[in-house]
Amino acid sequence: MKYLLSFLITGALLFIGEMKAQTNETKGQEPDKRPNIVIILGDDMGFSDMGMFGSEIKTPNLDRLSQCGVRFTNFYTCASCSPTRSVLLSGVDTHINGLGNMDEWTAPNQEGMDGYEGQLNDKVVAFPQLLKDAGYHTYMVGKWHMGKSPDKIPAARGFERDFSLLDGAGSYWDMTNFTALTPNSLFTEDGRYLTKLPKKYYATKTYTDKLIDFIASNHGDGKPFFAYVSYQAPHDPYHLPKDWRDRHIGEYDIGWDVIRKQRLQREIELGILPGSTKLAERMWFVPDYSLLAPATRALFGRKMELYAGMMENMDYHVGRLIEYLKEIGEYENTVFIVFGDNGAEGNDLGKMISGTPGTRDFLFFASKWSQTNPNAWGDPGSYVGYGPGWAQVSMTPFSQYKGWLGEGGIRNALVVSGPVVRREKGSINGGLMFVGDIMPTLLEIAGAAYPKTYNGNEMPPLIGKSWMKVLAGEAESPRNQKDYLAWELFGNRAILQGDWKLRWEYKPLGKSDWELYNLSSDPAELNDVASQNPEKVKELVALWDDYVKRNHVILPNRSPFEGLSDQLPMRFPVEEGYPPLINKRQYVPPQDMMTDPKK
Amino acid sequence: MRKHNKYMYFRCFRIIAASIITLMLVLPAFIFAQGDGPRFYWKGLAGLNAVPVIGSSKSGNANPSDPSHTVSPGSEFTATLAMPGYARMFSLFNRSAMASVIVPVGRISGDVIVNGLDVSQTARGFGDPMLQLGINIIGPKAIKNLPDMLRYKPGFSLDIIGSLAIPIGEYDNESQVNIGQNRWYGRIGMPVVWQLGKWVPGKRTTLEFLPAVWFFSDNNDFVGQKMETKPMFQVEGHLTRDFMERFWGSLDAVWYTGGEATIDTLNTGKLNNFGIGGTLGYQINDNMQLTIGYMSTFNDPEPEDLKMDGFTVKLIYGWHKLIEGINRLNSE
Repeated sequence: MKYLLSFLITGALLFIGEMKAQTNETKGQEPDKRPNIVIILGDDMGFSDMGMFGSEIKTPNLDRLSQCGVRFTNFYTCASCSPTRSVLLSGVDTHINGLGNMDEWTAPNQEGMDGYEGQLNDKVVAFPQLLKDAGYHTYMVGKWHMGKSPDKIPAARGFERDFSLLDGAGSYWDMTNFTALTPNSLFTEDGRYLTKLPKKYYATKTYTDKLIDFIASNHGDGKPFFAYVSYQAPHDPYHLPKDWRDRHIGEYDIGWDVIRKQRLQREIELGILPGSTKLAERMWFVPDYSLLAPATRALFGRKMELYAGMMENMDYHVGRLIEYLKEIGEYENTVFIVFGDNGAEGNDLGKMISGTPGTRDFLFFASKWSQTNPNAWGDPGSYVGYGPGWAQVSMTPFSQYKGWLGEGGIRNALVVSGPVVRREKGSINGGLMFVGDIMPTLLEIAGAAYPKTYNGNEMPPLIGKSWMKVLAGEAESPRNQKDYLAWELFGNRAILQGDWKLRWEYKPLGKSDWELYNLSSDPAELNDVASQNPEKVKELVALWDDYVKRNHVILPNRSPFEGLSDQLPMRFPVEEGYPPLINKRQYVPPQDMMTDPKK
Repeated sequence: MRKHNKYMYFRCFRIIAASIITLMLVLPAFIFAQGDGPRFYWKGLAGLNAVPVIGSSKSGNANPSDPSHTVSPGSEFTATLAMPGYARMFSLFNRSAMASVIVPVGRISGDVIVNGLDVSQTARGFGDPMLQLGINIIGPKAIKNLPDMLRYKPGFSLDIIGSLAIPIGEYDNESQVNIGQNRWYGRIGMPVVWQLGKWVPGKRTTLEFLPAVWFFSDNNDFVGQKMETKPMFQVEGHLTRDFMERFWGSLDAVWYTGGEATIDTLNTGKLNNFGIGGTLGYQINDNMQLTIGYMSTFNDPEPEDLKMDGFTVKLIYGWHKLIEGINRLNSE
């Protein structure tokens, strides 16, 4: 009896085991239908730089994604790169996730404070980790900029495979970086620090090659993948292969004023912006292009030619990725999210670092970055950025650019395409979207949950809202009129609720006081209406105070913008055609009244 | 965070001025017996002017001021010449063009064989002025303004040139040694400049060729005799390379063939000679460039072969009224 019982139990267990194995096997044969996810992040790409957002720059592959998906025109990021990236990956405010300030600009009073580590801290979990836990392959290529130590690199934050530039920028051709104390860029591949770069390295191409390899290496195992394609392009320096440099020779000699007008016209025609939209004032320290000499126009124009080449080259490699996904039959099941990480770059990083002769970094630039001849622009050793005039073009029609909290610093173009999009293909949406929404959206797509605790740490609440209903066409915005977005970076601060935006910025770009704008009627922030709306200012300041309290915001006691008033010319309004002294053309008398002298 | 606009403008003009400097190198320095020299056919901004002064010291068995290089076997010529000139770049049919004139001056001494006797003769004074007009036919369009110049890269550039010497130089019909040639002569040539790699000061490399055919009219009074010279074909080649932004060098070679001369019934035979040498160039400042070169024939074992070698020093002063104006304003 004892033996019989034992035999029956053993038999029953074997049967159950067999059944379970069969079930698992069946499950293993069923492909995971969850979509793949690809985030394409253009570094410093501006609001109007893609063709479908009004650009003259040719971006057919990004446009193709727009035509298959939705364009969002009211999408916000942070004002600079690492804060945006930290919010993207953690879904938590910068002042909590470690990027309360950029590592490069941490103020003395922020040193050592929680939320100001200058890297993505351990109080948050990066969503690639959660996607990995949920059964996704997780890949990253490109710029990281959220920590360099072994516990902060992509492999430590959930990326199964990576090929990453850990720094915020650097050469596209080699490992050269910008300062004497950080002469070399740091790269990792699959969690190991690289001693050298692959042969024939060019950032945008190599990142794409690597990602295709990553996808190929696991393709067919039934698991979906998430890919974070964090291109370095089109961030300065404008390094690009020769055959991409000369595709727009002379086209930008007409200048930033004309190109901005053309872009605005196209934005209106495409429906990106309402017909009543006006251009923001040209920054007062940016010269009127029509007053420049032809050679100066050509030189400035050349910089924009290179920028356009950077965009087009990036678009080409996006096209390679798309083609590859089509080839392996994954394109239709892939969600693409495309955006720029902040406003276009109007600052001259190279000059900021090396601008003072006799300094250590001037000497470093002399040895590593001194290829200043226009024919060398694009080569290793050249450092070209296009400056504030063209940055405003990239951010047409908005005011200001990267680093600032004008719309030109934080509002960017967003494209979402793929199987989760149920809206009309190629449609445009004006719902209020934020980079912090991406994490909850992707967790929902992947069927993953945001944990209350992770690795023993209690997780802060997510600040974003899932876009799933918006993408499905069930809602126009993930936010209601009461929801607000808030920013603080470098001491500049802003809050946005409904149509109203309150901002405080350092002089002279700001007023070092609160300014109020109604974005629905004035997206270019031309008219500060704070004095006419004191109650609204008070209401929004109260929200701002609430934001500061909730997120432990510590206003910096030093800022990259301190002393800017002394470096820029005095601010006067920019009026087209003023002064007539230099704008009036030669008077031509009537022909019949003209004569030669009598003697 | 940012320097003032004025700095931006200044930086632009610095780049422009630097670009002009690099193109100053195009200015001419015609030297007989050594070819035109490297970087002779580089293009410049229309309106660019240049005055080259060329000093040369040569010796050999042919008159250095005679482009046909008619060899006098057993003779020994030495020449100390200076060649001032003037050149101007302009646009012709939207192509780069250059007109130039150069006048050899100086003295030539020769130990020549006259009626079997070794005789020393000397000539001095002005030679035949040489006029030249060249126009580009393949390559970038004329550099008519500063933006064109900023964007200029020669790529593969082919010109057509015509030269003509006017026989008004000093000539003694009793002497075999003369600085003037007492005949019309000239050439048709097709210079090529082929950019290899980057066109960035400090990194430029070019391969240059000048195939040309020289034509000579008769000299009806060459020591009382008639001298006829058949056309001569000449090819010169240069491999030039920047060493630094302002310092460059070139390997030079020249080949002559033809040019068979007949003095009454005496035939000198045709040339078939190579010369090789090198050139170093240095841009002294925005307006001035110095080059030093040496060239020597090397396949010259027979008495009737051309034997010649020489040093050449060129100083070229160039200017453009626009750049001069910018410099005046910048120096205020």
